[in-house]
Amino acid sequence: AALSRRYVLCEVVSEDPRCRQCIEDRAVGLAVRDAIGRVHGDYGLACCSISFTVKYLNAYTGTVLLRCRKDSYRLLCSALPFVRQLESRNQRHPCFLNTLHVGGTVRTCQKFLIQYNRRQLLTLLQNCTNEEERRCVQKSLLSCSLTEEQSQSGDEEDDDGTE
Amino acid sequence: MSGAREKKRAKKMRNQPASVTLPAEPGPFPGGGSRACAPPGDVRSEQQYQQQKFSNQTSGPSYRKDQYFPKGQNRGERGRGRGGWQGGRQSVSEEMPKYITVSTFAQARAAEINAMLKAVAQKSSNSLVFQTLPRHMRRRAMSHNIKRLPRRLQEIARKEAEKAVHQKKEQSKTKCRKARRRHINLVAEFNRRQKKNIWLETHIWHAKRFHMVKKWGYCLGDSPTEKSYRACYRAMTKHCLLQDLSYYCCLELTGKENELLKQLARICSIDTVSSSLGLTFEEACCLSGKFEGSLNLYRADRYPEDMLGPVTFIWKPRDGSENRQLWIWTHPALKQDMLRELKAVFQCSEPEEIYISEPITTSIQEEKQMDVVLSLGKKRKKEEDKEGEKAVPVKKIIGDGTRDPLQSYSWISQTTGVVISDRTMEILRYRLIGPLSHSVLTETLKAASLQTEMADSETELNNWWVENCKDSEKVSLHQRQSAIFELLEGISSPSEVPPGTILGLTVGDPRVNLPKKKTKAMPDFEKYQDNDKVRQLYLEGVPVDCAHSFIWDQDICKNVTENKISEQIYRGVRVGGLQEASKHSEYQRTPHTPNDFPDCQAGMQFAKELETSLLEKFKRRPPAKRANYVKLGTLSPFVCPWGQLTKNWEGRVKASGEFVHPSSPHSEHCATEGHSFCDPKAEVVKEASPETDEVEETMEITSSEGVLKTGTQDFGERDETMATSDFIVLRSEKLLMQLSAWCYPTAGKDRRVRLISRLGQKEMTEDIFLPILMSYPRALVWVNLSLLRKGNPELHAMICIPTEDDLLHLSKDKLFCGPREPKHRDIFKHKVQKLKEEKKKKKKNDNMKALESDSPSVPDKETTEEHEDLILGLWSDALPDVTSHCSRTLLGYVTRGDFSLAAGCGEALGFVSLTGLLYMLHNQPADKKGLVLLRTPASLQYRFARLNIEV
Repeated sequence: AALSRRYVLCEVVSEDPRCRQCIEDRAVGLAVRDAIGRVHGDYGLACCSISFTVKYLNAYTGTVLLRCRKDSYRLLCSALPFVRQLESRNQRHPCFLNTLHVGGTVRTCQKFLIQYNRRQLLTLLQNCTNEEERRCVQKSLLSCSLTEEQSQSGDEEDDDGTE
Repeated sequence: MSGAREKKRAKKMRNQPASVTLPAEPGPFPGGGSRACAPPGDVRSEQQYQQQKFSNQTSGPSYRKDQYFPKGQNRGERGRGRGGWQGGRQSVSEEMPKYITVSTFAQARAAEINAMLKAVAQKSSNSLVFQTLPRHMRRRAMSHNIKRLPRRLQEIARKEAEKAVHQKKEQSKTKCRKARRRHINLVAEFNRRQKKNIWLETHIWHAKRFHMVKKWGYCLGDSPTEKSYRACYRAMTKHCLLQDLSYYCCLELTGKENELLKQLARICSIDTVSSSLGLTFEEACCLSGKFEGSLNLYRADRYPEDMLGPVTFIWKPRDGSENRQLWIWTHPALKQDMLRELKAVFQCSEPEEIYISEPITTSIQEEKQMDVVLSLGKKRKKEEDKEGEKAVPVKKIIGDGTRDPLQSYSWISQTTGVVISDRTMEILRYRLIGPLSHSVLTETLKAASLQTEMADSETELNNWWVENCKDSEKVSLHQRQSAIFELLEGISSPSEVPPGTILGLTVGDPRVNLPKKKTKAMPDFEKYQDNDKVRQLYLEGVPVDCAHSFIWDQDICKNVTENKISEQIYRGVRVGGLQEASKHSEYQRTPHTPNDFPDCQAGMQFAKELETSLLEKFKRRPPAKRANYVKLGTLSPFVCPWGQLTKNWEGRVKASGEFVHPSSPHSEHCATEGHSFCDPKAEVVKEASPETDEVEETMEITSSEGVLKTGTQDFGERDETMATSDFIVLRSEKLLMQLSAWCYPTAGKDRRVRLISRLGQKEMTEDIFLPILMSYPRALVWVNLSLLRKGNPELHAMICIPTEDDLLHLSKDKLFCGPREPKHRDIFKHKVQKLKEEKKKKKKNDNMKALESDSPSVPDKETTEEHEDLILGLWSDALPDVTSHCSRTLLGYVTRGDFSLAAGCGEALGFVSLTGLLYMLHNQPADKKGLVLLRTPASLQYRFARLNIEV
């Protein structure tokens, strides 16, 4: 039987943009483990550690996708608010994790992420103060429309096929 | 992970976004970002954007690990996946911004959306698009017609379809569909397809709904494709089950009555002639043509050996002329033997000239016979009706257009003038089983209306009926027949009619009054009549003249009966196949043809085929998953060695002590034990014990005879015992009645005596059963067994004699399931392994030799062939004494066994050795008579069962 897992999509929020440097697999993983260890103790840590991994992260947007067993995802979710800093290469940056979505598959998380980012861009567009900003956001919004993406993916496939 | 798997995974993950991190920096964090105006993300995104615009080289920010930078100058600025780390790029990392700009923020999100879109738009699994849809959204022909898919998936499906088209081969069609479906071509095609195995008329109807098997030269429906095991049982007991029995063969004998009877008496069993239950062709009620009879045939003057098989027969009612017609119905597996024997008996050798041309010229007689068999009362009613009105002027292929027209199928005897003709496939036959079969019949079939003038559309095919209607005598006969047929509507159960009743009737085309909706045929109690007519029907059956059918004088064109069935279905009938037939006979506890006739040729053939098929099935399993039958103590799991069994029992009796010696200590033992719970029984046993001396003497006599008889015969190989039928099956009713009475368990002596006297049988004493033993040294008895408690008997399960301890245990503990067979040692394992190793060595040597010289040695081959016969888990030598191989003495084998829905417990049918049975009954205490043990071939557990003999 297939193992049930849960995927937790969260966002690294930090005041300091330099924190983005710390957003990488190892650092995030360690920080989360540390938080679980503090909150739930050794047992909780061990429970969560089964098949725990960072599936995806994006340093520019601060998105992090974590995976754990379905049995223990509550432990994980409850520990996430206790992540207070990320540490990497002897640097320490205060930050916190904002849980966006808990999904059963990577795919649903990806779908949610698309929606979420779209919404963000739209709110950004509404709150624009000057013309240049508005133009900038509009351009990026247009760049991620579905039709363009599809045709592009098709081309991509063809390219791969010829390789 | 293998390379292929990695590749597969890479292909699957190709569209999945990889993590994006900031480029790593070797040094510690530098001071505040001086170039805040141009953060790396911004540059990257812009670059990205432009790239997307102008070239499709890279796709969004979904950085794959193996992605290669297309442009050298991008290196410094680009954020990369985990693999993208490269040294010497300090310039970027130093410039960390202190704040966010709108455009960076927006572009980073846009890039992520793109990456995610790409991942989501790509379907993840390997399945086709329509397979990913939930079941309720799927539609027929989705794989062919893209437009049947939801719109959002049509695009992807189109791509898939294009891919598939290249792989598909162009189908070659010689003719267009219209041409192929033209009737004449269709018929030609059907004829071509049934060259090897003949189709029944209902073949196409069956082939759509049944698993078809090729058996006995026919294509027959085995079992319905739908789940119907229980439904068929319910139909049998509560409603009606229909079966197409047209594959049964009909042999027609025409000649003078006494000539026929004189010769036929030779092939019937002789000892039943005198008895009241005697079954021969001569039986009075059958001879008049009122009833259908059934009996077993033997080779001429060979009874009780050389069984030919069971048949049913119908005499045509007397019509004034000297010659009479007799139809003998037989199973196709038995037909050839039967035909040969009949030809020999009547000395019919020359093929009759007239008949040869017949199939080519015209039409043949056809009848439809309804064979109503009731499962409950085990009574049979036979009806015949004719298919007269058929307005389809189609050039039909004759019943067996598949038969070689040059091959003669009719023979005449010069001396007696008897004609034997083979009417196979010319007469249709259906069997309706169940309590409502008569209502189904009456609802479907309506007696034909009288016609005196030819309708325009009708051809000369229906001529005969019009002619008939002009004859007033025949009309009145028809009216009488239909009056009786209408009486059927009123009766509550077909078992009220005497079994085997024949009713001839001309019916109208049943398609005319086909109901619009499927309805269940129910008996109409309003029409119930309790008048003299009905009573007469119950008592005497149909009057003789009504059994006469016009059809026997007429030649009528054949018609397709396919509609016939579907229209019966409209009346709520269920249709069964071969499996249902065998199940039915199991419920009836009658032997099924040809499975349960081990002494006739067809039965032996069947057993051989069954053995090979089971062996094949056994070999297909991996060796580690096979049952080791040697360890289980099963000598022959795939075939019943009847010859060996009877021979061994004879041998046991021969070794004179065997029969009696164990009996005396046992009976003593039993008597002492018996006092504790059942006194009268003990007395019986005590009475038996002093007689043992006499028995010993008589036994010695029989044994010496046995030696003389069997001295010439060697202990044969397995195959030999199969081929030569050196045993008989006991079918003498008198003896079977006797045995059946002995099998009854009785608690007290008085009751037993009363029961036996009621049955008109004698007490089981030596002077009665010893003559039986002597006259039938190697006989089998057909028995049925029902399990006391748990257990589901299977094919070839072993019937064994319980020991005294087993019975004792059972009487003390009512829940005792049964003893267990101790595990046997596999004495062949060593041999098999040795041979395997040898083979390996030989192979090596062969290879070596082949390398050295190109001539493989001959003896090597022989050894390899030899050891292929040796299979782990099967007894590979000649069988030892089958009776004493296991801890319980073997009595016989089960030929059919299953959980019986009728009885609610496991039931089995099989044969036991007569000698063994008598031995067992003789030694068993009175209240435990007829208790045996059953063990399936693949199990060590014995189960208790009660043995019964039904006559």
